[in-house]
Amino acid sequence: MTQKDNYDMFEMDGDGKGKKSKKEKKKERLEGMKKEMDIDDHEITIEELEMRYDTSIKKGLTSSFASQVLERDGPNALRPPKGTPEYVKFARQLAGGLQCLMWVAASICFIAFGIELARGNLASFDNLYLAITLISVVVVTGCFGYYQEFKSTNIIASFKNLVPQQALVIRDGQKNQINAVDLVVGDLVEIKGGDGVPADIRIIFAQGCKVDNSSLTGESEPQSKTPECTHENPLETRNIAFFSTTCLEGVANGIVINTGDRTIIGRIASLASGVGNEKTPIAIEIEHFVDIIASLAIAFGFTFFVVAMFIGYEFLEAMIFFMAIVVAYVPEGLLATVTVCLSLTAKRLARKNCVVKNLEAVETLGSTSVICSDKTGTLTQNRMTVAHLWFDNHVHAADTTEDQSGQSFDQSSETWRALARIAGLCNRAVFRPDQEGLPVPRRLVVGDASETALLKFTELTIGNIMVYRDRFNKVVEVPFNSTNKFQLSVHELEDPMDLRYLLVMKGAPERILERCSTILIKGQELPMDEHFKESFQTAQMDLGGLGERVLGFCYVYLNEKEFPRGYNFDSDEMNFTTSDLCFAGLISMIDPPRATVPDAVMKCRTAGIRVVMVTGDHPITARAIAANVGIISEGSETVEDIAIRKRIPVEQVNKSDARACVINGGQLKDMSSEDLDEALRSHPEMVFARTSPQQKLIIVESCQRLGSIVAVTGDGVNDSPALKKADIGIAMGIAGSDAAKNAADMILLDDNFASIVTGVEQGRLIFDNLKKSIAYTLTKNIPELTPYLIYITVSVPLPLGCITILFIELATDIYPSVSLAYEKAESDIMNLKPRNPRRDRLVNEALAAYSYFQIGAIQSFAGFTDYFSAMAQEGWYPLMCVGLRAHWENVHLQDMQDSYGQEWTFGQRLYQQYTCYTVFFVSIEICQISDVLIRKTRRLSVFQQGFFRNKVLVSAIVFQLLLGNLLCYCPGMPNIFNFMPIRVQWWFVPVPYGILIFVYDEIRKLGVRRNPGSWWDKELYY
Amino acid sequence: MAALKEKRTCGQRCEDFGRFVWNSDNGTSFGRTPEKWVYISLYYAAFYVVMTGLFSLAIWTLMYTLDPYTPDYQDRLPSPGVMVWPDKYDEEHIVITYNSSDKASWSKMSSCLHNFLGQYNDTLQKDCDHNCTKGKYFMQDKFLPGTHTKESCSFSVSQLGNCSGLHDPTFGYNSDMPCVIIKMNRIINYRPSQNNTQDIQVNCTVLEGVENVKKIEYFPENALMDRSYFPYYGKLAQPDYLNPLVAVRISLTGKRSAKFQCRVVADKITYENIHDPYEGKVVFTLQNLHVPSKPSSVHHHSSAL
Repeated sequence: MTQKDNYDMFEMDGDGKGKKSKKEKKKERLEGMKKEMDIDDHEITIEELEMRYDTSIKKGLTSSFASQVLERDGPNALRPPKGTPEYVKFARQLAGGLQCLMWVAASICFIAFGIELARGNLASFDNLYLAITLISVVVVTGCFGYYQEFKSTNIIASFKNLVPQQALVIRDGQKNQINAVDLVVGDLVEIKGGDGVPADIRIIFAQGCKVDNSSLTGESEPQSKTPECTHENPLETRNIAFFSTTCLEGVANGIVINTGDRTIIGRIASLASGVGNEKTPIAIEIEHFVDIIASLAIAFGFTFFVVAMFIGYEFLEAMIFFMAIVVAYVPEGLLATVTVCLSLTAKRLARKNCVVKNLEAVETLGSTSVICSDKTGTLTQNRMTVAHLWFDNHVHAADTTEDQSGQSFDQSSETWRALARIAGLCNRAVFRPDQEGLPVPRRLVVGDASETALLKFTELTIGNIMVYRDRFNKVVEVPFNSTNKFQLSVHELEDPMDLRYLLVMKGAPERILERCSTILIKGQELPMDEHFKESFQTAQMDLGGLGERVLGFCYVYLNEKEFPRGYNFDSDEMNFTTSDLCFAGLISMIDPPRATVPDAVMKCRTAGIRVVMVTGDHPITARAIAANVGIISEGSETVEDIAIRKRIPVEQVNKSDARACVINGGQLKDMSSEDLDEALRSHPEMVFARTSPQQKLIIVESCQRLGSIVAVTGDGVNDSPALKKADIGIAMGIAGSDAAKNAADMILLDDNFASIVTGVEQGRLIFDNLKKSIAYTLTKNIPELTPYLIYITVSVPLPLGCITILFIELATDIYPSVSLAYEKAESDIMNLKPRNPRRDRLVNEALAAYSYFQIGAIQSFAGFTDYFSAMAQEGWYPLMCVGLRAHWENVHLQDMQDSYGQEWTFGQRLYQQYTCYTVFFVSIEICQISDVLIRKTRRLSVFQQGFFRNKVLVSAIVFQLLLGNLLCYCPGMPNIFNFMPIRVQWWFVPVPYGILIFVYDEIRKLGVRRNPGSWWDKELYY
Repeated sequence: MAALKEKRTCGQRCEDFGRFVWNSDNGTSFGRTPEKWVYISLYYAAFYVVMTGLFSLAIWTLMYTLDPYTPDYQDRLPSPGVMVWPDKYDEEHIVITYNSSDKASWSKMSSCLHNFLGQYNDTLQKDCDHNCTKGKYFMQDKFLPGTHTKESCSFSVSQLGNCSGLHDPTFGYNSDMPCVIIKMNRIINYRPSQNNTQDIQVNCTVLEGVENVKKIEYFPENALMDRSYFPYYGKLAQPDYLNPLVAVRISLTGKRSAKFQCRVVADKITYENIHDPYEGKVVFTLQNLHVPSKPSSVHHHSSAL
């Protein structure tokens, strides 16, 4: 119970009325979707069906009519989700929060330029340059971001299966192989084991047909298909096979009732495209940050507008000042920094097989507080595997790992040999040819899931099962059917002298038991007594309780006299012994969890992330897997468990005592959204079973309503709406369907759930590091702004020019700010709770205040010290500078006297002004070196973090200095970019301030570390 | 999260902002309680007091290291600027336009020159020419005892002859022979030529409208700026220093409009810096708007005299 706080889900207060109506609309839409699924093609008779689709169950459609229908309905393919047009994708890159800020700034610049132009001030092109630069920054970073996304989209696209599906169709009474795309409603098609179902089909004839629906519902158990209508719900009935599922075995004929987007799968896919894309948490953070910047800028601008008016500037002039200040607040370099930092992380993730479709999603995993995971294919291998065996009155565990690296059981018992022989012989599954090179678990098999599991199991334990089968010549076989619930076959023995026949049988355990009179224990046939029956029951219950599918195995040697060689076995009549058999054992199978999953789930828990299982599979299986991978932890009980333990009715159990909760789709249907919220709140360990795609969506919405940032993992089409709705959808790269990949934001190329943990770690790291980068980038805004403020109010010659500022923002300081993205985490971020999206902001007040009004202020003082030094040493005393502006900027004044009486032309003064720009630039650079060092950590001392551990940062500092020197001393710079070759000593004037910044920040960090929760911590920790 | 994602209406935003300004639940205004505001304000006040103190200390140290007589560096003054008076500009260029028949127009020019020459009034200048040797740089390594200054050679208006304004207070602006005055900027310890032999001379050339210029005369003779005025030792050492001047009288004719370039010629004075058009030279246009028929012009001229 103590851990419950970990799952405290940052509740939000107050549901607005506007919100409710929106929700209602959504509900209506979902309801509509459900209604649409109400088709009755499975309920009507074959004749009605023929009438409805103008077809014949013998001859199929006529070719000419089929082509007419094709023209009417369009091809039988899922319309690719309305792919966002490329230009819209590009436009989106230009319309983020920061981008908007820069667009506004650029237009302000244009307005200011226009005003200046109208006033006849032709000399000032700064505003124009600034506007052009702002726009190019937005466009260039937009192109960069677009390129990044384009690249990852390409990686994903390369995974698409490009082989066109074929379908066997009967038209004009002729069988034809055609592309599935050309199928139309009313077509008569034939499917057999191994085929994909080419459209939604009403079955009219079936023989042993089993279909794997896992891509649609997540059920790993194959569903048998028969012509009878068994359920009014089209999804449950046996006589409809759905598009995109696969037929595992048997054959079936059917009439196509829906094609393309009108199929069930098409509707789910379109449900996904109907779900709006959520804003990423980082986008919200950036918007919040833009709000802070914009309000500060306007407040500052307005203050100085008033000051300027008060000093006696004209209205228009004051207006231009106002605009200039607002624009100066725009951190031009930040957009590039954020984009590059995110794409660096995206690259790092891609190396670990996580491909991110949308750059911003990189951070989302770091903020994630709930992961809703699909079971089949995500947590599990989507491959039935033998998990346990029961023989010799003991349960033995088989190796279920993907690479067969686990422990195996003792195989010395005679009983085991008998059991393995039955499993190997009473099995119709075969390997596809030409797969000798592949490891057994990866080989393709024709046959249903459990037979496949047994085939692979025996192949691994006995070896070369196909040859083994050949040695035991099969005489007769009775396939599995739902009434017998068993399967048997009769074989000749491999020893040619032994003329007995061997009958092997497998099936539902209780049916097998009924037919047995003896049981094999350590190779001895013992009579089946109550004791054995009881232990059989316990074993069966135990294994079933683990969510495993249990099969019983038995055999008998047929009496040589009664059944001599050449006896005519009849599979329909079953003219041979099928009772008083010898029971060999039980084998149970499960779709086992992936090896890396339990560890990954554990890590998620330590990181304070709740893992919720949402699956289409049965509750028992779901629960077993959940317990297996740690989603339901050891010792956690559901309400039902408590009820059983305490022997009281379920209603009397205190719900808050139950940590775990398993809810199935049926229960979910009857729950209001408040009930669901309540359930999610009160049970930290949740499993949702038998859920429909819509319900997955509802669960995700409910988590989001509770304030969580939700990640959804999934692979099937049925997951795609939830993937889209989630804050971050994660699809499986290998097993995932295209629909899932399309809807997802991130794709795990190796299908490894553990990669998510890496994603979380990287996401959290980038959030911390972005904070540092932003703090670093924001700081210099103040020393860039104060010169202008002093220029307006005190009328000194302008200390820092626009072009110089752009060089700081977009050239020298970009690399250091990006290098902070390479900073290691300060503490073990995977042991912290996910950030609270309401409290732990990317940019908070403390960060802005500390950067702007403390470090930024020190930098400004450094700049002005250097500025006044350069002015004084060239002949202009500080006090003389005050009020100098009007004369200084007078283009017509060519003999202005300095403090020493020397006379300066305008040109000479201008170069002196450029000298000032340069020394101010140098001051900011020197202070920024100190700044980047202090930003390495927010809490730890830089000495604890290691000065030179971040090699990129060190090289960034070197780069910054080299570039600064190049700008200062490259010939031609004065007239192109207004940089002057300044005296070397002016580089050293700001150094004491740099040291001051470093020492001050160390003191701040010391205070924060020593006194957590104190006033100091609250005000100065960002 | 969902609540954060909802698009907030303007009303909600205003409400939020209102709560930010004054939150009655926990008594905070703009995110802090009044008490907290006092603390943080005190902290910032202390911070800025310390920073201002450090800054003042830095500036004080800077001032302490400065030599009051000569600047530490003269990196931006490689060569002196040259300017012409009257310093009348159109948008960008010096254009001295007057109308010799319009008194209001030409008296602007003459009063400008009177103003400019005001400081050169002979009576204002102390007679201190005893050490001035014409034709030689006036090198003074030591300060004068007592005043701690250095001597400066006086420049009297009378040296400008016909353009001194003493004989013709109109400086010729009521005629086609106006005077302009050329001044070279002063730079501490600057000597325009390498040695004592080369003259520092003003040389004006006509760039456009040669046919409109009858004659160019210089005052003093030979358009010389005497070497004894150089070098300059600074405001503190030479409080009475005056730049030597050269007046140029230009006789206009024809369309009475021409463009001139006046250069101060000496081997160390550069004049081809495209980024500073006033370095070592000045370019200006001189224009008399009054283009009379010949007889009236003569009449007008004589009457003015």
